[in-house]
Amino acid sequence: MLRTKAQSMSNTSSANGDGPDWGELLAQVAHKGDTMAFRKVYAHFAPRIKAYAINQGMHQQAEELVQEVMTSVWRNADKYCGSLASASTWIFTITRNQRIDLLRKKGRTSKEITVDTEELWQIPTEDTTIRSIQAMSTEKRMRESIGELPEEQMIAVRKVYYEGKTHQEVAEELNVPLGTLKGRLRLSMKKLRVMLEAAEL
Amino acid sequence: MSAHHPDDLTLLDYSAGSLGLAQALAVSVHLGYCNQCQSQLRKLNALGGVLLEETTPASVGANDDQIPEQNHSQMEELNKSFEALMARIESEPVEPPKRESTGFHNPLERYLPASLDELNWQQQTREIAKFDLTNVVDMGSARVALQKIKAGAKVPVHTHRGNELTVVLKGGFSDELGVYHAGDYIARDPSHKHSPTALQNEDCVCLTVLDAPMKFTGPLMRWLNPLFAWRA
Repeated sequence: MLRTKAQSMSNTSSANGDGPDWGELLAQVAHKGDTMAFRKVYAHFAPRIKAYAINQGMHQQAEELVQEVMTSVWRNADKYCGSLASASTWIFTITRNQRIDLLRKKGRTSKEITVDTEELWQIPTEDTTIRSIQAMSTEKRMRESIGELPEEQMIAVRKVYYEGKTHQEVAEELNVPLGTLKGRLRLSMKKLRVMLEAAEL
Repeated sequence: MSAHHPDDLTLLDYSAGSLGLAQALAVSVHLGYCNQCQSQLRKLNALGGVLLEETTPASVGANDDQIPEQNHSQMEELNKSFEALMARIESEPVEPPKRESTGFHNPLERYLPASLDELNWQQQTREIAKFDLTNVVDMGSARVALQKIKAGAKVPVHTHRGNELTVVLKGGFSDELGVYHAGDYIARDPSHKHSPTALQNEDCVCLTVLDAPMKFTGPLMRWLNPLFAWRA
């Protein structure tokens, strides 16, 4: 079962054509505990995760975030499903969740139940949809579509995603009214949706 | 398949990880019902993946910003941090795997003490009951509760001092703006004044997330306010 998943995932990944096949490397980590493969994944993603943490204003915890995320990648490599997400998308979702987790740990309260971050931000491990859009091609199109966004929309999207800021904070930073920022974000979402849908037909 | 969804910006913030916990809870519950939002979220996550891929890498293992020319020492630092990670992974006990689930599911399932029918509901009126989660789950300052309205019953007209999110878990209700069924996600801001009525066929159970107390506005209904007052 896992084997098949791994194979289908390497097929989709190689469709990308450039750079190492991260899906295949993750499969080697999952099935053989391949440290060499993991070292390659680490060398590529660890510096990006660190950059993400720094952008989010987590300088103090940047190294910790890298270690937490990469530990999780090592332990959960068998849950990676190539038809659901590309390796970088999967690692992005893990990074986002670990970041939330680190921030939540700081503000722990005495309430009885802590709802796990992974329950609030679930990462599915199996593709249950009937028509699955291939993850790699979604990502390839996304990359192209982002390039076509007007710069002011792109900046807004990047700030929200990458700096973990609220709309209000981003608006203040860009010196535009909140409504203007929301308008830009809405437009960019609409545009990305239209471009992706056009590509899917 | 639900007909009422979180808007684009809410899903964007959810995917980016900047949505508040209580709102994320409501979105997460909705996702369990909604293929359309699952698919949209997948695309938004891919956006995050592309941004991660395209970011300018930072040097790992180094505490201070390094001069870019020092490639050799950067490589060394990276290798050292990798070795340290592997040593840590090997020395740490592997946590027993949590309950597995492969797709989106209702995140509350694991935390409610009983099934929806068997919860210890606090009766608010003869027809409305509440199961307050505010002081139970750690959702920041938001008030989180399950509400149960008897089939066909009407909730008195009220407004909200803040934003209210509702996700229908069971049954359905209607108000001045529409009809809602299981899985539907409804966002209301303080300007909305509404009186939901449960559909006739079965009791309606909803998750509600409120960032400020709700307020009954009908002249005869003011007395309900203290009863509905959320414990802060």
